[in-house]
Amino acid sequence: MNLRSEGAKGVALSAPATVYVGFLVAAPLLILVAYSMWTQTYVDIDRTPTLANYREAFTDPLVRHLMIRSILIAAAVTVVTVALAYPIAYFIAIRAQKKTLWLLLITIPFWSSYLLRVFAWKLILGFNGVLNSALLALGLIDEPLTFLLYNEFAVVLTLAHAWAPFAILPIFVSIQKIDPSLLEAATDLGSSRIESFLRVTLPLTLPGIIAACLVIFIPTVGDYVTPSLVGGSDGKMIANLIQVQFGAANNWPLGATLSLLAMLSVGFVAIVFVLSANGFGRRIR
Amino acid sequence: MTETNIIEMTGVEKRFGTFTAVSDLSLSLREGEFFSLLGPSGCGKTTALRMIAGFQEPTDGRVTIDGQDMQGIAANKRPTNMVFQSYAIFPHLDVGDNVAYGLRNRGLKKAEIENRVSEALEMVELGGLQRRRANELSGGQRQRVALARALVMRPKVLLLDEPLSALDKKLREQMQFEMRRLQRNLGITFVMVTHDQYEAMTMSDRIGVMFDGKLVQVDSPETLYAKPCNREVASFIGEMNFLPAQVSARQENSLTVTTTCFENLKIETNPNVRQGYGDILVGIRPEQIEIAAKQPDGYDATFRGDVVNVAFYGENVHYHVRVEGLDRPVSASVPNYFHMVDFREGDSVWLGVQSASVIDLGENEPS
Ligand SMILES: Nc1ncnc2c1ncn2[C@@H]1O[C@H](COP(=O)(O)OP(=O)(O)O)[C@@H](O)[C@H]1O
Ligand SMILES: [Mg+2]
Repeated sequence: MNLRSEGAKGVALSAPATVYVGFLVAAPLLILVAYSMWTQTYVDIDRTPTLANYREAFTDPLVRHLMIRSILIAAAVTVVTVALAYPIAYFIAIRAQKKTLWLLLITIPFWSSYLLRVFAWKLILGFNGVLNSALLALGLIDEPLTFLLYNEFAVVLTLAHAWAPFAILPIFVSIQKIDPSLLEAATDLGSSRIESFLRVTLPLTLPGIIAACLVIFIPTVGDYVTPSLVGGSDGKMIANLIQVQFGAANNWPLGATLSLLAMLSVGFVAIVFVLSANGFGRRIR
Repeated sequence: MTETNIIEMTGVEKRFGTFTAVSDLSLSLREGEFFSLLGPSGCGKTTALRMIAGFQEPTDGRVTIDGQDMQGIAANKRPTNMVFQSYAIFPHLDVGDNVAYGLRNRGLKKAEIENRVSEALEMVELGGLQRRRANELSGGQRQRVALARALVMRPKVLLLDEPLSALDKKLREQMQFEMRRLQRNLGITFVMVTHDQYEAMTMSDRIGVMFDGKLVQVDSPETLYAKPCNREVASFIGEMNFLPAQVSARQENSLTVTTTCFENLKIETNPNVRQGYGDILVGIRPEQIEIAAKQPDGYDATFRGDVVNVAFYGENVHYHVRVEGLDRPVSASVPNYFHMVDFREGDSVWLGVQSASVIDLGENEPS
């Protein structure tokens, strides 16, 4: 190609990214939008634009129920994961001698496939699972606990375990970046350890916390493997319904509509979260 | 100045593993003085300061502030505040909130906090910059914020760890002057750590000189310069020509000495050095040596030499003069009177000194 002007050069340089984003993000999204305005007619697709799918999605109580539940489960997973990850990240960043070793240990779950890990949780939490057998053997219970598996609890636990490294790493980085003399300055100005943490460490690690929350919350809302394997009927989420539309129910237009609505809801919740978290951070003085 | 001691350090020692960073440090600081700990980098100054602040516990010895033993008293409970070398300005807070940080810990009323913050900012000439964010400040402004943030707490002692080392020369000189003025006006005891002898001399009432974890001399800048306690101090503070000297007579307050450059010169004894019986070392500051083309009149001692090097500093000129029988050339510094450099390399010159300029540095220990 003959790169004569700056403009042409710019276009040429950004071409790979443009093509990539165009094909892998914009095009699928446009197809999704198009599908959501079409209608499934038994075996065929009626391509007359209509908002009927949206009307159905908004009026069906099941959709609303699953959407809210998905967001609540994802929020619970996020809160649990980040709350557990923070002390771990803090320990590694501040106290640990062999930081690299600790970080390596934290990634160990990734060395096996996610499906295997979900099945492992089934083995642990199940009716004849490791936990129940152990408790029975110890004589702590007389019959196996049934509330361990096939409910929201199992979904939250499994996802929290799976996402832990994604929460630990950004928080670790943000704690690591804090200049230790800032904490000494806080102490020098009369802060106790807890006050220094709340007034200096916490606001300075807020970007890490927000990043961790988004990284966990966004994909978790749309997760469908975990609820279908350990969620039972109580633990089903919006993605399970979407999967049914594209599969057994064979209603792609409705599936596309639900997908778009799920994306919009996640985006909305994420934006509100980021704004309020930042606002909260600015009020710490 | 009152003679009460605001800080007493007795036999303070700090070891890190087997390494001794500070050893047997005893020091009394007077209330309201500007004290500097001066020494080369790594000699343990910061460690000493941090033991006063409470960031480090002494391995041995005792630190008392205002009569109260500091053993076991945490840094956040001590009546000291610190200006950190890196300034440690909180990046998530604006200038006003940085300065208010410590006052909020004390649970003061909002109006009082605001008053004291703006008063402190006026004091360091940052009035009205309350809402500036930390990353919008220049180096000099950050230094002032750090100063205001510590002073607003009205500490009994302000600790400063190389507070000016990050600033460029012009700004540094201006801040030296301002900090000195501030200290005088507030009457708060300042303890500053620095490796810059000029900074220490221009700002301090007294200076403690440290080498290798040991405090070797504590005196006023003038005394340190005129009566250093040994060769190390003499060469660390200012420049010094060293001459080995034979002592031919010892009187109560004077010695009669002979060197390569002069014979039987009667000089004052230096009360700060250990007096022995053998040969001694004497020192002469370069600016105390006269340089002339002909043998100068009115000097207690004169001798000849050849100029081997000329360095022009602007305000003065340094001549290095080779003198028969000395390993190192003698350095003489003369003010730049009429923008003239009087001598060139290779010129034969006369040097003259007064006996009052010849400093007794005690026994000549092989160094
Ligand atoms: N926390 C520490 N652990 C081990 N060695 C230290 C520590 N702090 C300081 N040192 C050592 O103690 C010596 C004095 O350090 P410092 O007080 O910072 O010197 P200065 O401020 O005079 O440059 C240095 O050799 C330094 O390496
Ligand atoms: Mg230091």
